[in-house]
Amino acid sequence: MDEQTHKAHRAAHSGVKAEKKGKSKDKQRGFNEKAFAPKSGRNADRQGRRNVERDQTRLHVPLVNRTPDDQPPPTIVAIVGPPGVGKTTLLKSLVRRHTKQTLNHVQGPVTVVSGKKKRITFIECNNDLNSMIDIGKIADLVLLMIDGSYGFEMETFEFLNILQSHGFPKVIGVLTHLDLIKKAATLRATKKALKKRFWTEIYQGAKLFYLSGVLNGRYPDTEILNLSRFISVMKFRPLIFRNAHPYMLADRIEDLTPREKVRESDGKCDRTVTVYGYLRGTNLRLGTRVHIPGVGDLNMKSITLLGDPCPLPDADSEKRRKLSEKKKLLVHAPMSDVGGVMYDRDAVYINVPGSFTRGNAGAPQGEGEKMVMDLQDVRDTLDDAVARSQIKLFGSSSQPLTVEARSSQSPDNQTDHEDGDSDDSHGEDDFDEDTKDMDEFDSDLPSDEDELSSDGFDDEDEDVDTEGPSDRGRSFVRNVRRSLKSLSTNHRERSEVDYAESDSDLGHDDEDLENHVGRRVLFDDEEQVSLQSDDDYALSSGEEEADDIPKWKQNMSTKAREAFRHPVRDVRRRDWTRLIYLTSMSPAQILRGDSPFTAEEHNEIGSHDDENFLTVVSSAAQVEEVLDSTKEVVKAGEMKVWESEELLDSIRGLFITDASHDVGSSEAVDGTNPDSDVGTTSADGDTEGAPGNPEVARAAALAAKKEALKRKFDEQYDDPEGSKLDFYEEQKEQITRQLELNRAEFADIDPERRAFVEGFRPGSYVRIELMEAPCEMVEHFNPSYPIVVGGLLASEERFGFVQVRIKRHRWYTKTLKTNDPLIFSLGWRRFQSIPIYSLDDHSIRMRMLKYTPEHMHCYATFYGPVSLPNTGFCAFNTLSGDVAGFRVSATGVVLDIDRSAKIVKKLKLTGVPYKVFKNTAFIKDMFSSALEVAKFEGANIRTVSGIRGQVKKALSKPDGAFRATFEDKILMSDIVFLRAWYSIQPRKFYNPVTSLLLSHKTEWKGMRLTGRVRRDEGIKTPSNVNSTYKPIQRPERRFNSLKVPKKLQAVLPYASKPKNTRAQQRQTYLQKRAVVLEPEEKRAIALLQQARALRKDQVARRKEKREERRVAHRQKVQKEEAKKTEKDKEKRKEYMRVAGIKAKRDDAEDSGRALKRKRT
Amino acid sequence: MTSAQSTSLLHFSGHQHLRTRLVLSILSGKAVKIDKIRSDDQNPGLRDYEVSLLRLLERVTNGTIIEISVTGTAVLLRPGVIAGGPVTHECPLSRSVGYFLEPVIMLAPFSKKPLQLTLRGITTDDKDLSVDLIRTVTLPHLQLFGISDGLELRIKKRGSPPLGGGEVQFLCPIVKQVKTLNFVDRGKIKRIRGISHAVRVNPQFSNRMIEAARSVLNRYIPDIYLYSDVYKGEDSGKSPGYALSLLAESTTGAMHCAEATSQPGVAPEDTALLAARALLAEVRRGGCVDRAHQVLVLLFMVLGSEDVGRCRIGVPTERTIQLLRDVKEYFGTTFKIAPADSSDGAEQELLFSCYGTGYVNTNRTLA
Repeated sequence: MDEQTHKAHRAAHSGVKAEKKGKSKDKQRGFNEKAFAPKSGRNADRQGRRNVERDQTRLHVPLVNRTPDDQPPPTIVAIVGPPGVGKTTLLKSLVRRHTKQTLNHVQGPVTVVSGKKKRITFIECNNDLNSMIDIGKIADLVLLMIDGSYGFEMETFEFLNILQSHGFPKVIGVLTHLDLIKKAATLRATKKALKKRFWTEIYQGAKLFYLSGVLNGRYPDTEILNLSRFISVMKFRPLIFRNAHPYMLADRIEDLTPREKVRESDGKCDRTVTVYGYLRGTNLRLGTRVHIPGVGDLNMKSITLLGDPCPLPDADSEKRRKLSEKKKLLVHAPMSDVGGVMYDRDAVYINVPGSFTRGNAGAPQGEGEKMVMDLQDVRDTLDDAVARSQIKLFGSSSQPLTVEARSSQSPDNQTDHEDGDSDDSHGEDDFDEDTKDMDEFDSDLPSDEDELSSDGFDDEDEDVDTEGPSDRGRSFVRNVRRSLKSLSTNHRERSEVDYAESDSDLGHDDEDLENHVGRRVLFDDEEQVSLQSDDDYALSSGEEEADDIPKWKQNMSTKAREAFRHPVRDVRRRDWTRLIYLTSMSPAQILRGDSPFTAEEHNEIGSHDDENFLTVVSSAAQVEEVLDSTKEVVKAGEMKVWESEELLDSIRGLFITDASHDVGSSEAVDGTNPDSDVGTTSADGDTEGAPGNPEVARAAALAAKKEALKRKFDEQYDDPEGSKLDFYEEQKEQITRQLELNRAEFADIDPERRAFVEGFRPGSYVRIELMEAPCEMVEHFNPSYPIVVGGLLASEERFGFVQVRIKRHRWYTKTLKTNDPLIFSLGWRRFQSIPIYSLDDHSIRMRMLKYTPEHMHCYATFYGPVSLPNTGFCAFNTLSGDVAGFRVSATGVVLDIDRSAKIVKKLKLTGVPYKVFKNTAFIKDMFSSALEVAKFEGANIRTVSGIRGQVKKALSKPDGAFRATFEDKILMSDIVFLRAWYSIQPRKFYNPVTSLLLSHKTEWKGMRLTGRVRRDEGIKTPSNVNSTYKPIQRPERRFNSLKVPKKLQAVLPYASKPKNTRAQQRQTYLQKRAVVLEPEEKRAIALLQQARALRKDQVARRKEKREERRVAHRQKVQKEEAKKTEKDKEKRKEYMRVAGIKAKRDDAEDSGRALKRKRT
Repeated sequence: MTSAQSTSLLHFSGHQHLRTRLVLSILSGKAVKIDKIRSDDQNPGLRDYEVSLLRLLERVTNGTIIEISVTGTAVLLRPGVIAGGPVTHECPLSRSVGYFLEPVIMLAPFSKKPLQLTLRGITTDDKDLSVDLIRTVTLPHLQLFGISDGLELRIKKRGSPPLGGGEVQFLCPIVKQVKTLNFVDRGKIKRIRGISHAVRVNPQFSNRMIEAARSVLNRYIPDIYLYSDVYKGEDSGKSPGYALSLLAESTTGAMHCAEATSQPGVAPEDTALLAARALLAEVRRGGCVDRAHQVLVLLFMVLGSEDVGRCRIGVPTERTIQLLRDVKEYFGTTFKIAPADSSDGAEQELLFSCYGTGYVNTNRTLA
């Protein structure tokens, strides 16, 4: 086909277009470097500095993110706000946005898939402070809902303060009820004001969403879409506390206690409870304890990995997804009513819309409906079913189990079996493993270590199937290992081996098929050999005696003997993990190389001996006691072998000077070993390559050599500046490397063993079985209160005195007093304890404070569970909702943990002198015995007037009196005091807030203050007579006049002479004279008086007038005021009417909140 | 309700592995009860050095409660916090200072204040690691875990059995968290160092030992430096004795050590030969960590941050195996033990890897 030709485009040379183009061309020149170049060098310098500084502000301390990238747990998005603000509506809208399903009754966490690699768990937080604390500790993102028509409420600020002290998760504000504001200008102003306040609380520029109104019980779809987009692109920085603790938000709880036990104990027995949820934080290991806030510390009995109920889409599932199924996107909300099924703590409720009859095949069948249908299908009674039932061990078994199975064995087998039963671990237990894929055995490899078959992993029982050989899929009784003798006599019996690497594929006997594939055999001398066999030996079952001896058995005994002679035990072949952790062998036995069987037999024998306590144990063996020492005794005899040249030469390869050995391994070291000398190592040849093909080996060696040389060259000549990382980059690099290693190290072992070594990884959906949970947790379970399972570190289970730096919250109106109970939210826990406040007194002592200081940090010490230094906390005086004020009373951070506290308070001992000498005085009333005085000998004392002194020695006469010396003579009237420091310990009081155990969750009562108790009980405060205030009566002190002897006066200099002049007794000159006014003066005075009188009158009249005017004005104002009040009343009435409707609407919410509403 | 909840109590029996069990208890904070201590022995109960160790632990910690049963066959330890600070302790003459130092080394980095521990007694004997080895081998092992600044062992006086009279000072800094170990390459031995000391005997003995040791080791490597360390007068303790401690260091920093002490009727040359051969035997066993330090290294790996630590080790000793089991009891941590991926089939090395517990020094004071 010919190429089509087009007319070339001709640009316009004139007109609007040309003009436009020309302009834009000018603009689009791009970045003009000259324009931004600094004019002076100084400016350039300044600009450079600024840029560098700005870069530095961007940096944050690199933190390890322990959440895996491939299967991360769903992010927790908590919806928090005051009641009636629209939390449930928002949750429903968001869930509908992601799953296209409408939930009617939302309770507990709702997990949805929000993207290819992202899931979200939504949870609504109720208005209880306890819930807010727990949610604040686990939420990754908080949607903080604010009633736009109302403004911020106290709970919002309280919640923000809780967030702040437990690591600040991301917060998005959501303004609702904006449709209630009618005027556009008011709306704008409100938005602005609320935004400003929000920004000061979170940070400048924090995201605030506006939701306009409710349509069809949901928020507008576009707004929700925008919000969900924001949520999905959110990035989360790991929070330190959560990055160091495993935790789980339980989305389901079940009671596993036997019903009978519950019935017997009248429902009061401790329960076994399982909780389900996604693991978050770090790996959760069995054996650690967990804390459920509101319940307490619990022990985990088991952790089971479950299938993900809300899996991320993978390529496979995407392929299978049909268009029709698009409607049914995954949502996991066991406590809500998804698909008409709701799980309660002990029941499953199935909600069927409309009428529901069996015949109606066309009706849509949900999961719940199917369940009901199945139940209706039952035809027989349970008894019949049991009578007819046959127990098949496995789904694939062709015959059911019968009682006669045992008697059909050959007697030989039976005896063997009994021998084997001595160890209970591999008795019938092995049978309960199911085999799903029989094909696996055909493709078995000789040393397949991994048990990758998914059975056992899904198994509920925790029995790791590492005990003994697992004979799976077998329907007759198992055979036990044979001795060497029986092998040599050609018994066609399975010889069982107990090495775990082979246990997954060993010993699988089926009725019609038996594969012996490269198995290792255990002989009496505990030697092992690897035997190779071909796959095609399809052998008949163990019962029949085979006459033909297979090839691989023909020279068994010789092989065995050879193996025995082999000097070096094959250490590498043993499964150390299993030997150490899953057998009860003693370390010596493991090192000797005993098999678990023989070892346990030994043990058994030993235990028999113990029982037989009458036999005398000869202590001859114990004369040489085994010392607990690190150094092993070097015996000269053992070292004799090193006299042989052969042995000496054999370890030459371990030294750097060795020239005959391949050093590829040392070269392969990555950057960790920069000083390893490449030059010396590259010179040698290869001895390790297979002798069969030297060319290949040589090529490999050459390649390795080239690689090394290349690396060396790169190191020397590559741009050193470019490759050099700064500190920040280096740290980040290091973190990624370690994470990579973490991922790779356990990737290749089977999941069960992986969990054993590593714990359960975050992101996995697990079931945790908790032991001895209080019955109230189950009895009073309420799905709207979150259950958080927080893992505890080893140290956090302990108790001690915790020293914290604390500051009373500015908005908390009262001061905090020492020895008043305070509720702390610290770590996972919420508890009440009794703090003692203190301040550091010149770094000498910790001095007790009676009250917390204003606007200042102080220390507090209380008894409680240990948490790591630098953990934040917040404290409350009360958690109940009926308190009007701000409830967060203090915040702070943990500083120190100890077993004793070093707080002192000042103690002043006072005494009075009863005899005063020159500089010495006898003091009484300070102590009560000579012994006490002896304790204080040498102590500093002081009088009120400031004369310092010292305690010298006790006096015999009045008990407790002592002699003291002073720097000057003291007065008899002086009070002498001794300043001492009395050390005090905080009270050992710890009271966990067990709010989840209450039927009314908000009504938790902790320790009350004495005053509170008195008020509640109506007890009068006892008054101490000595403590009552009385008018102070101070006796008039009379001082004697100072008398200076005449003689002395005479010799004193004038300045020192007492100058007591007498009062004048004669009348003075002026006093003697009378004063008479002149007529002139008289007149003047009269005139002045008149003028003053006139003025006074004038002022009075003016005042009167003003008062009149004022009265008139007041009346006018009053009138206006009355009008205004009328109007206000109307307005109020209207508002209350609206509020009443609103309140009626969310009547389901708790009732106490109305009191709490306060405009801030 | 108001008082402390009793944290879990662990039970062990037997006198073996007493030190590690006590150390683990103090580190993990779990109370431990050890019973049947030599209950079948003619001389039942705790030995004097064990009681002395308990005293030392009580002194190093704050709030530790130790209860010993009347017969001495059972001990209950409720651990407090590790306090550190200046501590002086007289060690009994039945065990050397090394017996006491080893557990303290495991505790000291996690104390509240830097520890300054003075121990008096026997510094070198044939039962425990001598102070020379602790100084030159054990302490460098701590550096693998980021404990280095201010870490020091000063040998003030030497004391040989039976009368002792030595004195050492151990200074240890505190850390927040130990680093994760990743030590899988043992490298090749690049140098051999040693200290031969002689107290209250002819100082020539020490030189004779050096000569003898060199006769064995010279064939492997030229970089051998054996120090002769002679203490005189007051500093040389109360009894005569001599010993040779050797250590081989590889290119990657793996260290193997051995030592031999004076025995009555054994020539110094023979002692030196014994030490040198023991070193060779130790080197041959392989691993990045020698047998005497397996316990220390594995314990610190468990205490590392929540990352995977790896270490290549030869065949574990009995103590190591028991430690692994005890660690599982205390911390719930288990190791993955796999044969080290080496092409050389004859090697008996194992790769221990574990996921650290994220142990943070809670005792450390902030600000």
